[in-house]
Formats: sequence, C-alpha cells, structure tokens
Amino acid sequence: MKLLLPFHLSKVGAGFPSPATDYVKDDIDLNACLIKNAPSTFLIRVQGKSMNSIGIHEGDLLVVDRSLNPKNFSTVIANVNEELVVKTFIKEKDQPFLTSGSNKTKDKINLTESSEIFVWGVVTYTIHALQ
Amino acid sequence: MHYSKNKIALVDCNSFYVSCERLFDPSIIKKPVIVLSSNDGCVISRSTEAKALDIKMGEPYFKVEKIVKKNNVKVFSSNYSLYGDISRRVMKTLKQFSPQIEIYSIDEAFLDLSSIKNEDLFDYSNKIRKTVLKWTGIPTSIGIAATKTLSKAANHVAKKEKSGIVNLINSKQIDEILSKININDVWGVGRQLTKFYIKNGINTAYQLKNTHNGWIKKNTNVFGSRTAMELKGISCTSLEIYQEKRKNCCISRSFGRKVTKLEELSASITTHCLNAAEKIRSDNQTTKRMTVFIRTSPFQKNKNFYANSKDVDLPIGTNDSIELVKQALVALRYIYRKGHKYQKAGIILSKLNDINIYKKNLFSSINSEEKRKKLMKAIDCTNIKYGRHALSIAQAGLRKKWNIKKQYSSKIDTACFDLLPTIKVA
Repeated sequence: MKLLLPFHLSKVGAGFPSPATDYVKDDIDLNACLIKNAPSTFLIRVQGKSMNSIGIHEGDLLVVDRSLNPKNFSTVIANVNEELVVKTFIKEKDQPFLTSGSNKTKDKINLTESSEIFVWGVVTYTIHALQ
Repeated sequence: MHYSKNKIALVDCNSFYVSCERLFDPSIIKKPVIVLSSNDGCVISRSTEAKALDIKMGEPYFKVEKIVKKNNVKVFSSNYSLYGDISRRVMKTLKQFSPQIEIYSIDEAFLDLSSIKNEDLFDYSNKIRKTVLKWTGIPTSIGIAATKTLSKAANHVAKKEKSGIVNLINSKQIDEILSKININDVWGVGRQLTKFYIKNGINTAYQLKNTHNGWIKKNTNVFGSRTAMELKGISCTSLEIYQEKRKNCCISRSFGRKVTKLEELSASITTHCLNAAEKIRSDNQTTKRMTVFIRTSPFQKNKNFYANSKDVDLPIGTNDSIELVKQALVALRYIYRKGHKYQKAGIILSKLNDINIYKKNLFSSINSEEKRKKLMKAIDCTNIKYGRHALSIAQAGLRKKWNIKKQYSSKIDTACFDLLPTIKVA
C-alpha cells in the first residue's frame, strides 16, 4: 500500500547544482499524511451513487480509520441492514443516529447499543480523481 | 529447575478466516460460514454456527456439501492475500501491548506480559481483545499462563468462556482445567504420541502433567518431555521474537480433475517449482534438496492407490528456477507410472540455507552463475511489476490449469488497489 511520489527539487543539469539538494531526505510519502494508524486504516472504493453534499463521488477512495470514535457530523461507514454504507453520524441530546447527509429527519437511523446497526469506521479522507 | 515466573499470553483469533470474510460482509455475521482450503478441498475455518451443524475441521468439502446446501451455509474459497493483510494488522496492533511478541502462525501470537501485575492481567487482556476487535474487526481469545504450553491450554478453554480470557497465573483451577483437556489437544502432542499416551492410560493434560518425567524421557523424545515439563509450569521454550527463516518450502495442489498424462504432471510440477524457487529467492535462501511427489486420490473406491516421491540432492545449494525445474522433471519421470489417475502433485525444497553459506563447487562456472542470478532477478522484478506468471518457463504450460480452484472467493484484497472492498452510498 505504499504510495511514493518522487520529490524532484531540481533538474539534473550541467550547471550550478541546487543548493537545496543537501536537504532532500526522502521521497514524500502520502501515507504519512493520510494514514495516522496503519493497522486500523482501510481503503474502500465508492461504488454507485455519489453523496455530493459531503463530497463523495463514485470511484473515490475512502480512507477509513476503525480506531477512531465518530464525532458529531463525522462521515462514517456503518452496517445498516446487513450492508456496509456511507452515512453521516449525528449526536442530538446524547442520542446518536445516522443520516444520509441531508438534514431531512425522515432518513434518521437510531444507533442503539444492542442493535444490529453499528459504526464500522470513521472516514478520514476521500481521495477523488479530478482527471 | 525452577517454576517459571513469566506471564505468557497466547492471543488466538477466533475462526480467523471466517472473521476476515465477515469484516466486509455483515450479511454473514451470526450465520453459518465455512472457508475451504486451497483448491476448495477441505474445510479449514468454521464459524460457531457452522461448528454447531457438526461440520468438522479438515473434512473434505464433498462430504459436507449436503449439510451446506440444507442449512444455507455460506462457503468461501480461501483468500490468503486478504487473510495475510488482516493478520499483519492484528500482529501490529498486538505489538503495541508488548514488544516481546512471537508471531506463531497467521492467527496466533505469544505475548510476554511479565511486566503486568497479576491483578491487572485480566483488564489488560480485555483491553487487548477490545482494541484488536475495534481496529481490525477480528475477535480473539486470550490464555495466560507461566509457560507457552500452559498458555495454549488456557487459550483452549478461553475459547469457550464468555469473557474470552483465561488466566492461569497463580490459579487454583489449573488442575481442574487441565483435566478437561484431552491429550490430543495438548500443544506438541501429535497423532502418534496421542496413540501412545492413550495406550498407557494418559488421556488428559492433567494426567500427562502428573506422569513421572523419567518415564516420559525414556519412552518419548526430548519434545515429549518438554511438553510435560511445561505443563508442570517449568518453562522449556522461550519466545522466538525474531522470525526465523523457513526451514523448508512445500508447494502442492490437488487437481480440480484427475490427471493421467506425464506432460500434464510436468506442467504442474514446473509451476510449483517456479513458485517455490521464487519464495526462497525472496528470503535469500538456497536449497540443497528437492523432493517431488505425486499421488492418486485416497478416496477412490476399487482403484489402486499410488503414491510415490523422489529426493534429489543438489550438488550446490541453488534457488535457480531453471535448474530446479530441470531436476524436478527428471525426478518426476522416475516416479511416474502410466495408468493412474493422479489427484495431487507437489514439491518440497529442504535443507534451506542462507545464500553464501555454500561454497562454490569445483566444477561450477562463476560466470554462468552470475548470469543466471541476474536472470532470476529480472524474472522476479517483472513478476512483481506485471503480476505473477507474467514471465514463466514454457514447460509450466500456458494455460494455468494448476493454479488454484477458487470458485467461492470473496475476491477482496485490502492490500491491492484493484481488489479493494467497495461500498455503496445510500
């Protein structure tokens, strides 16, 4: 899962070498920025519809960290009706529930301890290709 | 000799392969699920619900197919790249709780928790279980005791406990628990030893613990004696914290259909050779002995069972695919008999050693050896970049019939961009 991008400071040429060359240590590593906790972080691909209100589109890569606890308005992966889906986690008067990103109350799903509905992980980044 | 004061925890993943499959498919939580071995041969992992249906570990799939159909058991082909990645995640998580860790198998690890106070051990273990479950989605059981063998025994019992934890340190229940463990379930007691012990009236771990060491030493071997000592609480094996390199490498497959022709067996053996050679090359090892084996199915009725193998001692340690294939095919011709329907073929590379241990042979030509090394390196690099078998030897056949039957694979790999789990937005 290593994503290494070469970090070129200067073209190789015959002229005066870049004075910064001495400071280059390593290739820049996107993992260091996107993955805080490697054993608990999974990459998941989005299929089907988009969730434009929170900026998730078909084909995007979601970076999901299972070790985090969701905060109010966290985007999460949840198990709803025996299927993993993307939802928004909301806490209102200490009652946690899931919505589909809209403010409509009709698609509220209550989260209770014993239920079959549970949060699978917290989405920390979405990687969206512009081209 | 003194009693061990160590606190060794054995953390074991519950129904590991099934748990991995459940991670991305919540529809099979709480349902009977089984995972089959390579080539969809035998049952190698069962959910609790599948165990309750009396599906036994290691049973050939065709024997349980009826139960599977009747009870709607969900069946998976093994997906080792997924299990390997999840296993690495579990082990990495465990390392946070103790740097002294021995990864014992894909789903088990020994942790040295000697620095934890006894009264805190239960809570600490609970924290380990909860963290592994939250981070990786894998449920575990933990057995803690003064020796590795005892912690294995504790784990055996922990699997049935609701808390998933059994701590035998300073426990008054040790003997009670050991008397409930059948002798064949004791770590290090294999099939032959089980037969021998039962013949001599030793049926449980407790009875073995109380057998006189002199008698065990006289009648078994050093390993038998070690196991008994460890049950008494005397530590004989320490944690192997540094991963040892493999000592041998075996690759074999059952054929999806019966094979009779020498050419077909040759292609299969060639493929196995290439895979095995690649494996030992990646560990910087060479082999000095290769064993080629073939056999017919032991389940065929009214047919002659045929199984044979041939060892090849190599003059110089090697990991050269071409050399190994050449030797393997000579050995195969030696054991091949016409008229049999072969079910399985495989090779074992043994006497593995780190590169450079073997000196050059008087007759080896350094020049050609260097060339070969470069060729092998080029093959490995190409295959890493373009997928396995991108570069191969023509003898392996162009259509890879030998490569595993995976009819029921979940086809998910958390460590490969093309096979990542997918999710719908709703």
